[in-house]
Amino acid sequence: MPHAISARSLTKKFGSREVLHGVDFAVEAGSVFGVIGPNGAGKTTTMRCLLDIIRPTSGEVRVLGEDPRAGGPELRRRIGYLPGELFLEGRVTGRKLLAHYQAISGPVAPGRVEALAERLGLDLDRHTRKLSKGNKQKLGLVQAFMHDPELLVLDEPTSGLDPLVQQEFHAMVRESQHKGQTIFLSSHVLSEVQQTADTVAILRDGRIMAVESVSGLREGAVRHLRLSARGITAHDAGALLGAVPGVGRVEVLESNSTVTLTATLEGDIQPLVRALGRLQLKDLVLEEPDLEESVLKMYSSPKEGE
Amino acid sequence: MSTTLPLFRRAFLDTWRSTLAWAAGLAAATFLYLPLYPSIGGSAQMQDMIDALPAEMTKALNYDQIATGPGYAQATLYGLLGFLLMTIASVGWGAAAVGGDEESGQLELTLAHGVTRVQVVLERALSLMLRVVLLAALVFVLVRLLDDSAQLGIRPENLFGATVLFAGLALLSGTAALCAGAVSGRRTHGLAVGAAVGVLGYVFNAVGRQSEDVEWLLNLSPYHWAYGNSPVANGADWAAATGLWGISIALVALAAIAVDRRDVGA
Repeated sequence: MPHAISARSLTKKFGSREVLHGVDFAVEAGSVFGVIGPNGAGKTTTMRCLLDIIRPTSGEVRVLGEDPRAGGPELRRRIGYLPGELFLEGRVTGRKLLAHYQAISGPVAPGRVEALAERLGLDLDRHTRKLSKGNKQKLGLVQAFMHDPELLVLDEPTSGLDPLVQQEFHAMVRESQHKGQTIFLSSHVLSEVQQTADTVAILRDGRIMAVESVSGLREGAVRHLRLSARGITAHDAGALLGAVPGVGRVEVLESNSTVTLTATLEGDIQPLVRALGRLQLKDLVLEEPDLEESVLKMYSSPKEGE
Repeated sequence: MSTTLPLFRRAFLDTWRSTLAWAAGLAAATFLYLPLYPSIGGSAQMQDMIDALPAEMTKALNYDQIATGPGYAQATLYGLLGFLLMTIASVGWGAAAVGGDEESGQLELTLAHGVTRVQVVLERALSLMLRVVLLAALVFVLVRLLDDSAQLGIRPENLFGATVLFAGLALLSGTAALCAGAVSGRRTHGLAVGAAVGVLGYVFNAVGRQSEDVEWLLNLSPYHWAYGNSPVANGADWAAATGLWGISIALVALAAIAVDRRDVGA
């Protein structure tokens, strides 16, 4: 499969301060690729390099098969970009501002802007500088999506959006992917990316620490288990669960002939389910795997071979 | 959707309020000064008063020429208040055009679209140029209107030449601001450089006219290049006009090259 984006040994220095130290990654066409990392990791710098807003000090970048600088305006028309910090200060309405961006980007289907605005709950007739942060962000999203670009580069797209609108955004990303668009997005928390992304790259201090598929992360991820049961002693319950492969950090409390137990589970669920069958359960919660936790483990543990 | 000069249109149309406000200011200045000519510049009493002022002061303010209608318009409107208003407007627009836009973070999004950096600078410079020319043209029309009633007796061809210089002088400060803003990515740097060009030009002229020892300062003063021979009274020095507009164009080209070569918003 061809790559929508590839970066090889991408470095960027601002004066003597190097912020990207040889970043390598590739984004498959038609995939959703998330970059996560703390603030200052180099996410925004990487994205700006893709759009020729800043130029790499060394290394090679290809966006839709072209060098961003050589590709020029024609290449950028095929990209939709949402900057990490969106400033819209003009005394113009959202509609007029979008008409302007429409004039300098790829062709926009009639009614597309209105449809997107309605979807996100954005009033196009308000002056942009009077918009709240969330509404500005919606305007930025409309601007990035409106010309159905081959590639979407979205820097912290959900920041400032309320949960319902975030869900709508995730739906938009999935629809775009169905249409064959490639989405490259960033966040400082994994939970925002894991819902939509196929692959995540973890960027820290200007280096890619790991590139993992989200399903891979999910397999290796830790789930939290919480249950209460009757007719068993705390000791037996602890022993039963403790014997299940992948279960760890077992804590048991007993009160009023009810045992409350919490534990973590790594790996396969099936053995756990079998063990649970022997209990008289009153309550059971097995949480979604917490990818955040598995990523944090990755952050803190040095890479193998080092 | 294809629109010709989309960035120019936005830069021009989005600032219509500001353009209108400066136009109103210039109109007010014109209506304030010129109708007073018969009672001030032309009156013998006023001339006595001006003669009583220190010669250095009248020279600095160009009041040595206000005894004639064209000289009066030159000294008061074109040389003082009009010059001031036009320069401030032009510097403000010039500094905002690229440097201000970058500093506020908006340039990044524009450049992420299907435009080139050179195009951004050129279209915005064109918008600056058009706004300055419109203001100068407005003053031209108003002066023509008042010429009879205020007994100014300004020859239209001289007024036209003066208008070209009036616009060119303001534009020079404006393009200096645009250029400094574009090179540094900072609005305040643009404002500082633009204001310096305007103010130093004025000061070098005022000081340079005081004595032969400091006459060389006049050569450094765009203000003197434009107004040294009182164009409203004597017609434009077209070499000076070409020079002012030429330097402005060169500054815009420099701005375009600078922005094209560097990182934006870094």
